[in-house]
This record gives sequence, C-alpha cells and structure tokens, in this order.
Amino acid sequence: MTRFEYHKPHTIKEAIGLMESLENAKFIAGGTDVMVLIKRKKIAPAHLISLRNINDFSSIDIGDGLQIGGGVTHSDIVANEFIQKRYSALTDAAGKVGSRQIRNVATVSGNICNAAPSADTACPLLVLDADVKIAGPKGERQIPLDDFFLGAGRVDLGPGEVVTGFHLPPFGLNTGSAYIKHTRRQAMDLPMVGIAVRVTIRIGGSEIGCKDAFCTIDSISNILRRLEDEELRCEDVRIAMGVVAPRPVRTRKAEAALRGKVISEALFEEIAEIAAAEAQPRDSIRGEAWYRREMVKVLTKRAILISVDRVLRPDDMI
Amino acid sequence: MKREITFKLNNEERKVEVDPGWTLLYVLREVLELTGTKEGCGYGECGACTVIIDGRSVNSCLYPILEAEGRAVTTIEGLRAASGELHPLQRAFVNEGAVQCGFCTAGMIMSAKALIDENEKPTEDDIKDNIAGNLCRCTGYVQIIDAIKTAAGGGRT
Amino acid sequence: MSDLTTVGKKITKRDAPLKVTGGALYIQDMKIPGMLYGGILYGQYAHAKILKLDTTRAERLPGVMAVITAADVPNDFRFGIMKDNPPLKGGRVRSTRDEIAAVAAVSAEIAAAALELIEVEYEELPGIFDPLEAMKEGAPLVHEEMKSNILKMPWKLVCGDVEAAKKESAYVVSDTFRTQWVTHCCLGTSGCIAVFDTGNNLTMYSNTQIPSLAQNDYIEALAAFGLKGRRVRIIQCTIGGGFGSKLDTYAYEYIAILLAMKTRKPVKFIFSREEEFFATSPRQCSITKISQGCDKDGRLTFREVEMVLDNGAYTSWGATTPSVMMMPISSLYKVPNIKYVAQCVYTNNTYSQAMRGYGNPQATFAIESSLDQLAEKAGLDPYELRFRNANEPGELTPQNFQITSCGMKECMAEVVKRLDWKGKKGNGNGRGVGMASLIHVGGGARVYKSDGCGTIIKMDDRGKVDVMTGATEIGQGSETVIAQIVAEVLGVNIDDINVINNDTDVCPWDVGAHASRTTFVAGNSALGAAQKIREKMLAVAAQNMGEAPASMDIKNGVVFSMQDKEKSMPLSKVLRKVHYSPGGKMFTAEHFYDPPNENFNKEFKGNLSVSYAYGVHGVEVEVDRETGQVKILNYIAAHDVGKAINPMLLEGQIYGGGLMGIGYALGETMIYEKGHLKNGNFLDYKMPTAKDVPPVQAVIVETDEQAGPFGAKGIGEPGLVPTAPAIANAIYDAVGVRIRDLPITPEKVLRALQEKAQADTGRSGA
Ligand SMILES: Cc1cc2nc3c(=O)[nH]c(=O)nc-3n(C[C@H](O)[C@H](O)[C@H](O)COP(=O)(O)OP(=O)(O)OC[C@H]3O[C@@H](n4cnc5c(N)ncnc54)[C@H](O)[C@@H]3O)c2cc1C
Ligand code: FES
Ligand code: FES
Repeated sequence: MTRFEYHKPHTIKEAIGLMESLENAKFIAGGTDVMVLIKRKKIAPAHLISLRNINDFSSIDIGDGLQIGGGVTHSDIVANEFIQKRYSALTDAAGKVGSRQIRNVATVSGNICNAAPSADTACPLLVLDADVKIAGPKGERQIPLDDFFLGAGRVDLGPGEVVTGFHLPPFGLNTGSAYIKHTRRQAMDLPMVGIAVRVTIRIGGSEIGCKDAFCTIDSISNILRRLEDEELRCEDVRIAMGVVAPRPVRTRKAEAALRGKVISEALFEEIAEIAAAEAQPRDSIRGEAWYRREMVKVLTKRAILISVDRVLRPDDMI
Repeated sequence: MKREITFKLNNEERKVEVDPGWTLLYVLREVLELTGTKEGCGYGECGACTVIIDGRSVNSCLYPILEAEGRAVTTIEGLRAASGELHPLQRAFVNEGAVQCGFCTAGMIMSAKALIDENEKPTEDDIKDNIAGNLCRCTGYVQIIDAIKTAAGGGRT
Repeated sequence: MSDLTTVGKKITKRDAPLKVTGGALYIQDMKIPGMLYGGILYGQYAHAKILKLDTTRAERLPGVMAVITAADVPNDFRFGIMKDNPPLKGGRVRSTRDEIAAVAAVSAEIAAAALELIEVEYEELPGIFDPLEAMKEGAPLVHEEMKSNILKMPWKLVCGDVEAAKKESAYVVSDTFRTQWVTHCCLGTSGCIAVFDTGNNLTMYSNTQIPSLAQNDYIEALAAFGLKGRRVRIIQCTIGGGFGSKLDTYAYEYIAILLAMKTRKPVKFIFSREEEFFATSPRQCSITKISQGCDKDGRLTFREVEMVLDNGAYTSWGATTPSVMMMPISSLYKVPNIKYVAQCVYTNNTYSQAMRGYGNPQATFAIESSLDQLAEKAGLDPYELRFRNANEPGELTPQNFQITSCGMKECMAEVVKRLDWKGKKGNGNGRGVGMASLIHVGGGARVYKSDGCGTIIKMDDRGKVDVMTGATEIGQGSETVIAQIVAEVLGVNIDDINVINNDTDVCPWDVGAHASRTTFVAGNSALGAAQKIREKMLAVAAQNMGEAPASMDIKNGVVFSMQDKEKSMPLSKVLRKVHYSPGGKMFTAEHFYDPPNENFNKEFKGNLSVSYAYGVHGVEVEVDRETGQVKILNYIAAHDVGKAINPMLLEGQIYGGGLMGIGYALGETMIYEKGHLKNGNFLDYKMPTAKDVPPVQAVIVETDEQAGPFGAKGIGEPGLVPTAPAIANAIYDAVGVRIRDLPITPEKVLRALQEKAQADTGRSGA
C-alpha cells in the first residue's frame, strides 16, 4: 500500500491553495485513473487533493447552452434527460464508460484531464464545441477543448490550475449528435476506435422536428431512402476521432467536405475515406492499425446517419 | 500519519483509525474484518469489491478511505434484516441458482441492490447494464439476471 | 423412480445462504495467528542466464523473516508430471513466470517491498516461442540437458486403415485449425497457507480441486525436504472457482512449504490478479491438421488428425490433454478409421494445465469445423451429415468406448427445432446458423490408477446425517447433489444432511474434481454408502416393529411398514433405541466406488469411462459485414445428461460453460509477445460480461444412464466444448467465410470478408 496524505478542500480556492503549497501533489476526483496509477506504481504522489467535497461542484445547468460542473460524474450525465436529447453524443459516451460502479464516481473532468487517446467523453465534447473552464492561482480562464489537449496525456493546465467545468453552446432542433464506441465487449472495455459526430441540417426548406418523419427502427436504410426524394443539406458538422492519434482529434478535412453539401450516400463514402486518411492509428494489443482505420470509415458514416436520424426523430432519440 | 474517521457502516456509526493511503476495501477486510466484500482484481475491473456508498454502487478497491468519512457505507454484511432474515435479493440469489463459487456474489448483490433501490422495475437491459462491471466466471449470468428480476418483483420472464 | 422426493428437484444450493451473506470463507479471508505473508520474484526474461542474485538488502529489511532462492530447495526437488519444474529456478530462467526468489514477511506490504530489494542480473538468451520452430532440428533447447524440445510423450492412436479409407472416400477435406491460450479467470485468485505443527506435520489451507493427489505431492515434497514420513493434512477453504486450474500443484505451494519450514511460522500466499494471469497455467494452444472423408451417401470414412501443442517451458497436465482429445477424434460420430498423432513441444512460453474440457474444445473445434467443410463438399446440409453419422446407444467406438446411453440425435432434434434450422439455414443474408456436437466422459475417466471416491456416512441420535465425501465443491454444486442423493436413499429431509468435503483428515480418498466425474463417481459412492446405512437401519427398525425389512420404507425421517402405514417410528427414535440399548451401536457406513472403466492400453484404447455425455449446440449469428463483428442472436445448448439430479444446478453448468465457450470463440486470448503476457488484466482480457450474454436456452435431454446414480451422467465440462465450432459454422453460413483460428475477432472476420470479396471479383472478372 502506498503512502500519501489526503486533503479534502471545500472550495476551489482552497484546492488551488493546497496545490500551490504542497510538494508532489495531485488532484483526485473519482480516482478511477489516479488510484489505478498509484496502485500500479506508475505515479507516487505525496499528497492527493480531493475534488469530491467542493461545494456546488456537481451541478448541471441549462441556460446559454449547457454548464457541466467540474465534479459531474458519468452517471450524472446519463441521468440527465436534457443532455440525452440535446447533446446525445455525450450521453452515448458517458453511458459506455467502464461499468456502473466506475461511472458512479468517475468524472467528466477526470476523463478529460487524464487525456487518454481513448477517453470516451473527449470526442463528444469536441464535436459539441465544449469550452473548458479553468481556475488557477492567476484567476479563471475558458478555452476551447480542442486547444486544451496538447498530446498524449498532456493538457493545457498550469501549476495549481483546476478544471471547474465545461460550457457547451446551445444547439437548435436541427442539430443531432452521436458517439459510437467500437469495442470487443459490450461493457468494461476501452474503445478500439471512438467516433463522435454532430450535424446541423436543413431539409429542403421545410421545418425540422416532425417526429413522424420515419417510424421504423431501421433508421439507416430509411434515411437513405428518404435522401433520394428530398434534399438534406448539412449546414454544419463536427467529426472527432478517438484512439487514432496521440490525442482525440477532429477531422477537419472530412468536416469541410460535408459542410454545406446535400447529404448523399456517395458523399458519405467520400467523407469516410477522408476521415480514414486523416486518422493515424497504431498497432497495439487492443487493435490493429489497419482495422482501426477501416472502422473510422464505417463508424464515421454510421455516426453521421445516427446524428441525422436523431434530428428527424427527436422523440426516439436515445 | 494515521487519522481517525467516522462513517456509517451498515447503519452503525463506526470510528476507525486509518492510514490515508488505504482503500475502503482494505479497511473493510483487514481492519474491520468484514471479509464478505471480496477483492478480485484491485483495479476496478471485476466488481467483486462493490459496496454501496450513499445509495450508489462503487468499487471499494479504488475508493480512498478518507472519502468514506461522514458517508453511509453498506456492505453485504449489512443486507440481512435484524431478525436474520435474508434480503429479498439474497433469497432470490439462493432460489434461482445465481450462486456457484460465490466469489462474485457479494459484489453482484450490492450492484443489484443499488439498482433496485433506484429503479423498482428494471428491464433486463437495465439489469445487465448495472451488473456489467461485476464479472462472474461460473454462472454465465443467466440465473443472476433471473434472480434480480425476481427480487425486483418481476418474476421470471 | 417415479416417486423421487429430492432427486430431480430444483433444490437450492446448500452453500448459497452462506455465500449470499458474505459468510463463506475463501483462502483470501483466512488468517492464522502469527502468520507471515509470502511474495515471489519472477524472472524478467523469457530465457536468460541469471548472472547474479543478491538477496542481502531484502533480508535486512525489517519485518522480513526469510528470503529463499533455488539454493534453498533441498535435493534438487522438482514437481510436475515430468518432474521438470523446480519450485525456484536457479542458473537460468526459461519463461517469464519462472520463480527465482521468495520472501516471507510480517505483512504483505513488507513482502512486496522486499522483493523490490532483490538484485538480479541477467544475460538474455535467445528464446523460442513458436512450437513449429522449436521442433526443428538445431533449434535452441529449452532444457539444455535434453536432446530435443519435443516431449517424450508420444501420443498416437490408430484404428482401422486411414490410408485405404482415404482412397475409397468420395469426398475428402483437409485443413489446419489453431486455438489460442485462454485462462480460467477464477474470480478468487490462487492462494494457500502452509502451517507446520511442532512435530513437523504439515497442514495446508488450500484451494485445490484434487485434495488426495495434492496430499501425495506434498508428502513427496516433504520427503525431499528432509521430512520423510510426516503427515499432511489439507483443509480446503471455499473455492473461488476451479475450472481445472487447481488440478495440479504449483510452485507457490512448495515455496510456501519451504518458507514455513524455514520460519517455523504459518506462511500465506495470495496471488494478485496479475500473477493469476501470468503465473497460473492456461488452456493449451494447439495447431491441428485434420482430414476427414465420407462416401457418396455421406457416411464418414476416416478422420486423420495431427496436432502440435505448445508445452511451454515446464510440464503439467496440459501435456496430457491429447488423451482426452482422442475421445472426440475417435468417437464423435461414427468414424471407422482413425489416425491421431500429437506432439507437445517445449518453448519459452507459459506452460499449460487442465481447463474445463481438457483438450476437448481444441479437438472439437477442428473436427466440427472440418465436418461443415465436408458437408459442403458432399453437397449435404451439415445437419444431415451429422445426423447420418450420429452416435447411438450400444455402439462400440474404434477406441473401444462402450456407448451405453446416448442422446445425440435427440439433442440434434432439439437444436434443429428450436433454431428453426431449415428456415434459417443458407439464407446468406448476413445471418446464419451453425451447429456442433460433443462427446465427453460422463461416467468417470480412468486417467489415474484409481478413479474412485470414498464416502463415510454417520448418523446421530436425532436423525441428522454427516456425509464425509472425497468430492470437492468448486462451486459446481457437488455438495448439494450428494446431499440430494443421500436424502433420497435415506428418506430424510435434505436439511438434515451435512456434507463434509474439505478436510483430508476426515474425508476419504478421491481422485479429484475433474473429468466431469463428481456427480457420477462421488454420487455413486454416496449412493452406495447411503444404501448400506439404510439397510442397517431398516434391519433394526424391522426387528423392533416386528416386520420384515423388505416391507419397510423411510420417508420424511419416519420408518414405516409399507403394508400398514400406521406402523411407524421416527428414524431418530430407532437410532436412539439402538444407541442406548445394552451393547448399543451407532450407525456408520463407508463405501468406496471405483467405476468399472478402463485405463487405456499401450495403444490408447480402452473404455475410459462408464458412460459418455453428449450434447449439441446450435447458434444463430448475425455478422456485420462492415465491421466484422459477430452477434449471437440465439443460442441453443442441448445436453444429454442421463438424469438431471438438480435441474437448476445443471442449467447453471450449461449457462456458465456456454458463456465461457463464447468467450473462447469470440474474444478471449492471452496475448504473448516473445513470452511476455501483454493483456494480463480484466480490461484487456475479454472475458464476457453480463452485457455479452446472448439469448440462450439450456435444453436437458434425459437418457437414464443405467450405471449412473439415479441415471445421471457428468455435465461439468461439456457446456463449452462445441461452442466455438458452432459459432464458426454459423458465421460461414451467414457470410461465407471460414475462420480457422480462434478467437474469431472482428479483424479476422473482416479480413476474410475482404479477401473473399477480392477473390469473388477476381473470379467474376476472369
Ligand atoms: C475499470 C475501469 C474502466 C474504465 N473504463 C473507461 C472507459 O470505458 N472509457 C474511458 O474513457 N475511461 C475509462 N476508464 C478511465 C477512467 O475511469 C476515466 O478516465 C474517468 O473519467 C476518470 O475520472 P476520475 O474522476 O475518476 O478521474 P481521477 O482519476 O480522479 O483523475 C484523473 C486525472 O485528472 C486529474 N483531474 C481530475 N479532476 C480534475 C480537475 N477537476 N481539474 C484538474 N485535474 C483533474 C487528476 O489529477 C488525474 O490526473 C476506466 C477506468 C477503470 C478503472
Ligand atoms: S476488486 Fe475492486 S473491482 Fe475488482
Ligand atoms: S459464482 Fe463464481 S464467479 Fe460468480
């Protein structure tokens, strides 16, 4: 058993103060990464500064988009119906992290700060244009998540800085999002590849949100059939990929190829190819590079389709 | 440096002297000698160590003991009624054949309890989702899922 | 048999209440006053010379009570069936799990810290990791004192004339199949506590599933360690999963003994999960070349199998799995001509052991996959081909197995009906069905000189029964089944029966919980003892009540006359009467049952088991052509069990086996790179979770095995035997690709689909 001192501040200010004053200290939230690293003797902090007892740290607030507190767990996300409907990709991801027990304590902040290429909530937050809210000895700042990731396991956090939450902008009813986690098992698994997509669409000028647009479950083929009779134009899109680079990344070329275009099957193929070309997967015991690249293709298409489907069938969005 | 903390364990206030480096699992098993909670991996990957803290299932092997301070912890030992009668989940596990070697059982039951406490009528998918972090090598899970359904009042489907 | 009161009923597991309340004590939970904690240092390399091993810093750490190395192992003691495995390795390491030093300390924490203080220097040597390479002449030797890496354990079975049959066959197929290492994943890791008394007798708290054989092993070890003639007692704690993993003794147990001898204190070892992954022995991986043929009517003509098995660096039961592989090879379906050769080859990999099915899954994967290929070649529905060649009661197989009861055809019929085989087969729409069958020993297996099990029953004044059995409970429910059998025979309530099955000081001999033999052998043994005691009780009761013993019966703990039900007496009263009369006596009975099966002769022929269990699994899958993922839509596992003594426990064995088989088929694999295990944890080793459970039906077919207790046969292992080939066959039906290499990962399926697409366009282009 390793030795460390454990501190339980109640305010962010206190937490930052402790971090500044203590040598070899580390923040701990749910501890599902930190405790594993300590037990595996990968790190040996002398002090753990817990973020679990910070007042008002675990709230999810709606208004001007979405505010996610720094202490919000994956289970909190899953339980939130508004997120499920309006920021579906995040629910997709949070609901698939580890196990129920892990999700009950593990936080979104911890997932992002740990910055594993496989971090499940990273891709959804990227496509949902999340900003990271940071507080530190020098005050507060807010930066786009894309700028927060610096590399494998590296994030833009200065000494003493702590993530206090995330801000996600509001999206209209013509926006849908999805995250597909490609795994070997149905649970307790890290993604071989993770793909998140957000699309904002416009159907030939008509209003979006008719829940009876499609009523079967077989959404993919139905959408494609529908695409033939009506124009479905992509106004805006984000596509992000996990486990195909040292950090979760957006594939801007693929996004550009879709933005403003009328969605068609042929276009999907093209976008999938572009995304796959942008991916730089590696061979590891968790998956082979060629396969990961293939999956980028397949899952990009599918994630776009699910996102579109969710715009068209808002009541069925799960 | 040892510290004294107080928390509610199976409905009883407990005071324990702990080292901050200890996990809740270690304290339960080695200090309080409540060995019903098992260690199957030590890394959050098997669920054998599952206990309930303030209503939620957690892996006690990754839970820093100092976080337990002031919280309510329930372990398998705390499930039986004062009369000694088995909890409906325990009874269902016995009756449906959900126990083989039994090493996963305590954790499995704690996950199931947290589930049915928050959701009286869980679907089969809810059940699977909530026990997916509890590995069992013996049963193939079928009878475990049946038992949880039975305990939740759904009976066998 | 119709009015059974306990047998055949869904009786809850006897140890379940203790387990659901957290009261069952596993080795992890045991503490003995003064106990020390052990730790093992493993070599860092798959093959290396140890240049320096310095333990002085570890010895100086406060709290460390002993540090031992190979130099502390007396008399060059070695264990394992080939006696090629020293508990601590000196001079050289031959695999990454080689134990080179061990410590005992006052806490687990100090023991771990001490291990880090041991200084070792190595000179790395080239290793050999591919058995095919290791077989070649001039390959580096794993054991330098041996001439070859090929084990002197030649497995060869020849029945009939394969060459002639080949020529006469209308259709012949040949292919090569490979299987991987998988591990038991017992949720409770390995462990033991070794305790010596002042007379140097050893008590071992243990997880073993072979108490009597382990006792032998330890006695032998004690003799080598200078304690010849001392007693060994094994006390089994509640066992957190077996599946074959505890069928042999391991180095850590001998190390615990040595440390306990040295420190004069109890020494406990508990494996961490990492250790459990890399330092216990997995299922053997195999390379199988198989040819099979049939005539134009689809009758099988021959089966020829050549196998190479990676033995790893040392030898345990894994090397003997060909003895069981022979069973399906010679006797799964009617095949007149058989040839089988297998070679086990030393490499610098991990060494293998027994695991549920004991070689049968590997062999059956090849046989049943190949059979589908043969059906296609012969233009037959795979079911049709199987049905035409199905085993039947009364058959004598080429290996001289006497088939008594056999429900293979009934199982097949269940699968066909429940899967809607005819409706689903060959639709080629991404969904497909597949099936595979199994044969396994179901009435003991004479692999050892004795296949016996003893039972002692004693009754007290209140009609309570103590049953002392050699049979080990590893979670499978043997304790309950034995209690049911005894309750049935004695006519007492099952709650009045106490089964004692964990202490070699009181329990009679048993060869172990292996070969699915416990229900059959221990069941028959318990049945015999119960019958003896019943007769004694009836005799005295008859005398007391002025009746003939033959006209008396016992039900619900009451002895009564069958003619005049009014004439009755509680059993407890009978017992007290006898006990407290002048010259009184107490009732005990003892019975040793050794089944009338045969050891193999020199040609590996003989009736290994008194009865054989059969089963057929059918599966419907959906293959995602874009990702290569396989989804199981429906799974039918039909098993001929003879008689279901406890249907609930039986279903538990089938569900548990089935899911283990699905893991074997679709995901589980130990990834070794140059002898190093890369995925020794539950995140990266893909044992199925609750979310991976497909819709599954366990179908029980009863064939009433005459030799079995109440008609029962063994069922512990069969649940996973035919799973992988059934799935592989279904995948072929769904998308036309044949995966020959377990596990069937999405990568392999997708690659095969891509290759098929290329080949198809090539063909249509040409
Ligand atoms: C069994 C198991 C399964 C898992 N499965 C998954 C999975 O499927 N998908 C997945 O993505 N991850 C998975 N993980 C990893 C882990 O659970 C997640 O990354 C989780 O979200 C981490 O959150 P936490 O609160 O536990 O972080 P902690 O472990 O507490 O912290 C992680 C890192 O972030 C820092 N940190 C935490 N909060 C803050 C903050 N507010 N400000 C600044 N720094 C902070 C910590 O100092 C530390 O460096 C798994 C882990 C385990 C043990
Ligand atoms: S012991 Fe905690 S999850 Fe395995
Ligand atoms: S009963 Fe043995 S692991 Fe679940």
